[in-house]
Amino acid sequence: MQASRARLFKEYKEVQREKSADPDIQLICDDSNIFKWTALIKGPSETPFEGGVFQLAFSIPEQYPLLPPQVRFLTKIFHPNVHFKTGEICLDILKNAWSPAWTLQSVCRAIIALMAHPEPDSPLNCDSGNLLRSGDIRGYQSMARMYTRLAAMPKKVLLPPCELVVGACFLTWLLG
Amino acid sequence: MDSEDDMLDANDSADEDFYSGGEAGLASSDDGDGDYDFADHDSDDSAELLSHRQQQNYSILSEDDIQHHQEDDINRVSTVLSILKSEACVLLRNYNWSVSKVHDEWFADEEHVRKVVGLLEKRMEIPNDRELTCGICFESCPRTSMSAAACGHPFCGACWRGYISTSINDGPGCLMLRCPDPTCAAVVGQDMVNSLADDEDREKYGRYLRRSYIEDNRKTKWCPAPGCEYAVEFVMGSGSYDVNCNCSYGFCWNCTEEAHRPVDCATVSKWILKNSAESENMNWILANSKPCPKCKRPIEKNQGCMHITCTPPCKFEFCWLCLGPWSEHGERTGGFYACNRYESARQEGAYDECERRREMAKNSLERYTHYYERWAANQSSRQKALGDLLSLQNDKLEKLSDTQSQPESQLKFIIEAWLQIVECRRVLKWTYAYGFYLPEHEHAKRQFFEYLQGEAESGLERLHQCAEKELQIYLEAESPSKDFNDFRTKLAGLTSVTRNYFENLVRALETGLNDVGPSTSHGTSSKGTISKTLGGKSKSGKSRASSTSSKTSGSNRAVDESNIWACEQCTFANPKSAKNCQACNHQHR
Repeated sequence: MQASRARLFKEYKEVQREKSADPDIQLICDDSNIFKWTALIKGPSETPFEGGVFQLAFSIPEQYPLLPPQVRFLTKIFHPNVHFKTGEICLDILKNAWSPAWTLQSVCRAIIALMAHPEPDSPLNCDSGNLLRSGDIRGYQSMARMYTRLAAMPKKVLLPPCELVVGACFLTWLLG
Repeated sequence: MDSEDDMLDANDSADEDFYSGGEAGLASSDDGDGDYDFADHDSDDSAELLSHRQQQNYSILSEDDIQHHQEDDINRVSTVLSILKSEACVLLRNYNWSVSKVHDEWFADEEHVRKVVGLLEKRMEIPNDRELTCGICFESCPRTSMSAAACGHPFCGACWRGYISTSINDGPGCLMLRCPDPTCAAVVGQDMVNSLADDEDREKYGRYLRRSYIEDNRKTKWCPAPGCEYAVEFVMGSGSYDVNCNCSYGFCWNCTEEAHRPVDCATVSKWILKNSAESENMNWILANSKPCPKCKRPIEKNQGCMHITCTPPCKFEFCWLCLGPWSEHGERTGGFYACNRYESARQEGAYDECERRREMAKNSLERYTHYYERWAANQSSRQKALGDLLSLQNDKLEKLSDTQSQPESQLKFIIEAWLQIVECRRVLKWTYAYGFYLPEHEHAKRQFFEYLQGEAESGLERLHQCAEKELQIYLEAESPSKDFNDFRTKLAGLTSVTRNYFENLVRALETGLNDVGPSTSHGTSSKGTISKTLGGKSKSGKSRASSTSSKTSGSNRAVDESNIWACEQCTFANPKSAKNCQACNHQHR
């Protein structure tokens, strides 16, 4: 308990000191509980998630860093390795490949890497995985893009015409 | 019920001849293998007595033996490859403790082996600063309080302790521990665990290491008896799978269930599953888990995708739906979440079939209960016999030797009789599992089997009765009884007759009651002879019922036309070459 608190405090100070070190990641510690963190990560460029900001919730066990933190997406995301409803993430370093030398920061980096390189062979979101596995890259990208637009971007941005069409189609499908 | 009458008559008639046959057989059997028997009886290990007819193709290892074997292997690898002992240990563990495999792999491609196992060629030193930052707690600590594996990544003592302890508490996967740095694959061996972990963890690690030596080695297994700490080393290839541990527990090497000749392992596992299927636990496990297709440990799937990875050391990756290896899954098999191998197999009915069979089995509960009750009765009877045997050995035999003024070495026949009873109860018990799974529609086989079983049952009853009730008289007697020698002859005779009968029964059942031809030397039974003797029996059944004489009727002799003769006492079909019946030792006239 004491060790994990000390270690988290170190990470907290590091985050404060190097705020601008990694502009894609913003880690925020809960004001009242050092075992609860949230992170805002930017969708990696040249992916359908580009331009979106995704919120992650960290729940850290008392045995941290000997045991991995529990992380899930709070922002809805269409990705083969993220559960569409719960936001649960299927990532080996969060399960059996965890090493105590990882930090919250490096976990965020790993998640960004996962967003750029999905693993459709071990899917939590079957529809998303199926699109990729069947080779429908465009279908996957437009779906992911649309959810990024819907959930991870400020609402007032003007949509460029082509995406407007896709979005409208999907909205009618959603409502219909 | 015609057939039942038949059976009774057959038993009755056999009863009368049994004794005379037994005594007749006794003379020959005493002459024949008397020496052989005594030679073996000198070792007073009861377990050995039971198996004295089989050649021993296994050895029992105590905890010390295990440690010695393990150390020997480690030393051998360590000297041959000139590496540290802890490295040799990791290497052996990685190749399932096979010394030859380690040598082969190492000399074929040392670099590759080093990479796979995580042995670095050169030891890196910890950076030569006075203070270093621990990679886990991020505190800076003096260099002297830091340690590192061969890779030189420094971590502080407290973090190492926590890291090692977490891994050890996570299970035997700790035997393949790596440096905590995620980019580093350097192995953390027993030497580091011993210098960094606390006593409790060190001991646990040592235990896992010893367990791994037995469990991951293909030539060794633990004795499955509760509380028994012996392991068994088995030499493949010859003889039966039956193993008798020093704790006197007999088990089958192949499936590690209790010894179950003549029934095969698959039947036993079905039977045992069936016996426990009624219990809540088993229901839960069946409903909620599947066994890992490789290591058979039950796995519960509580979340996530269909890609299951078994926990280390197994680490087998498989598909939850079809239980096939994950590597064989791809787009062609249609899927990772709706595996179509499973779907198509389901449509073909492979899975439904299994479930339907389970359903049917439940419906025929009555039939099952019949067999189970008899199986359980023999089981408890065997337990009781074991207890009696112990009490005899411990004190009664001594008293008997006093009252009858016989040296104890002359009373061995009593122990032998009881050992035979214990063994027979075991065989008989399993014949009920055999009977349960014998297909209904094979009427001829069934009837013959039930006849053999009935004979076995009554023969054993006679022996048990004699060893229990008649012995009691002499136990209670005050002075030497005149007829004690007669008792000896009778009991020894019964023992030998029953032993012969059961050995033949086991052999006949093991060959599935059909594939031993009449001309082979065993000549237990062939398909032809079964039906013939059976025909003879069922025809003669009634006639025997009318004539109380036990002499076999002519129909049995009809069998003589070929190369066999039917025993006049038990109708067993023997090859011409045999002088005595192979089932009951009755002399052929």
